[in-house]
Amino acid sequence: MNRIDEILALIRHVPPFPKVAARVMQVLKDPDVTAHQLAEVIQYDQAITANVLKICNAAYFGIPRKVNSLDEGLVVIGHDILKDIIIASSSARFYQGQVGAGYGLEQGDMWRHSVATGIMAKLLVKHIEGVDSGSAFTAALLHDIGKRFLSSFVADDFEKIVAKVARENCTFVEAEQEILGIDHAALGGMILEKWEFDQQLIDAVREHHNAAALEGAPLTALVALSNNLVISIGIGVGDDGLASELRGDGLKRFGITLEMLQICMADLLTELDRAQELLNI
Amino acid sequence: MKVIVGISDMKVSNNVKEELITYSLGSCIGVVIWDPAVKVGGLLHYMLPDSRLDKDRAQKKPFMFADTGIPALFKECYSLGAAKGRLIVKVVGGSQILDPTGFFSIGKRNYLILSKLFDKNHIKITAEDIGGSVNRTVSLEIGTGRVHLKVSGRGEFEL
Repeated sequence: MNRIDEILALIRHVPPFPKVAARVMQVLKDPDVTAHQLAEVIQYDQAITANVLKICNAAYFGIPRKVNSLDEGLVVIGHDILKDIIIASSSARFYQGQVGAGYGLEQGDMWRHSVATGIMAKLLVKHIEGVDSGSAFTAALLHDIGKRFLSSFVADDFEKIVAKVARENCTFVEAEQEILGIDHAALGGMILEKWEFDQQLIDAVREHHNAAALEGAPLTALVALSNNLVISIGIGVGDDGLASELRGDGLKRFGITLEMLQICMADLLTELDRAQELLNI
Repeated sequence: MKVIVGISDMKVSNNVKEELITYSLGSCIGVVIWDPAVKVGGLLHYMLPDSRLDKDRAQKKPFMFADTGIPALFKECYSLGAAKGRLIVKVVGGSQILDPTGFFSIGKRNYLILSKLFDKNHIKITAEDIGGSVNRTVSLEIGTGRVHLKVSGRGEFEL
């Protein structure tokens, strides 16, 4: 089996995305759904139940009183926040342990980077028409899922990849693509496809390192922008450093200025301080 | 003992057992200063060039911006006995993602404002490692003044 086949075979063994997440999203399409109906779906996933309670009681969501039961939690938090919690706790399990070592990432770095990108996407969503906050958070949280599974292959060919980036001043994904036959963004898109996410989320993850992403679909532009800003700030960044390309002139169509981006960068630090519980999921 | 300097953060020290360290500088800049005579040093990790962006925030978080953080770093070290004429000054960071249109220029701007500030105040940079598309981690040993730098793709070395 050659290496690209080996990598693609991996996808067959990627564990499923928690079923509860899809069911909750389905149930939430009914605006009149009751907290009790939601609890009936969620209670079967212990990790998610525990996280809903933990996060309900976290400063980030600003709920004033202590929440003790799932039913009660679901009454006090809004549906948008609930969606974020479900997605975060469903995603977190894929980022646990020594993931991303092939990229020179320490334990916890990949999750910190993902949460920071998710929060950045939520901060930027007000500047990008046609994207809802839930999709923004989900796609941004999962944008690097391909790294989780490509990491050990990157480790095997690390010297070659790094040498190519240094020699040709190319991006890290270009080097991945050439040396491994596939890059982590493309792999991530395939994983989201397998998990049966909406097409716009699959596209956003697959295209998040496309240099022309800002000219693409609004969600793709948002995820690429959020990721590149978080990389620039240096949150959860490994040996790929800032070797990522994005054509900034694509921001003109959204009317986004460098000043607006700097304000979001400053806001991100404040939000991250408040999101400690999300990081500790 | 390692003392971690976060993003938009600063630490100064006269404890010879301490090592100040800041991780993962991208477009941010790390400024390291050290006075060998009194073994006083400091490390600043600022994220943005100009505090006029948000005056209120600059008041609460002066280390976020070059123009409020850099003066604070020098003043704090002076208050521990450092003298301007003796200071060794090292500067790292200011990388950028690749953008042929030149829009994403915070790294460059972060360095430009530092240069202006240093010129105006007659401060010379002893050593620097600036720019590119790399990620840097820098540390300062207060006892020896040694500055260690780790650069993605280039490994670890003394600056």
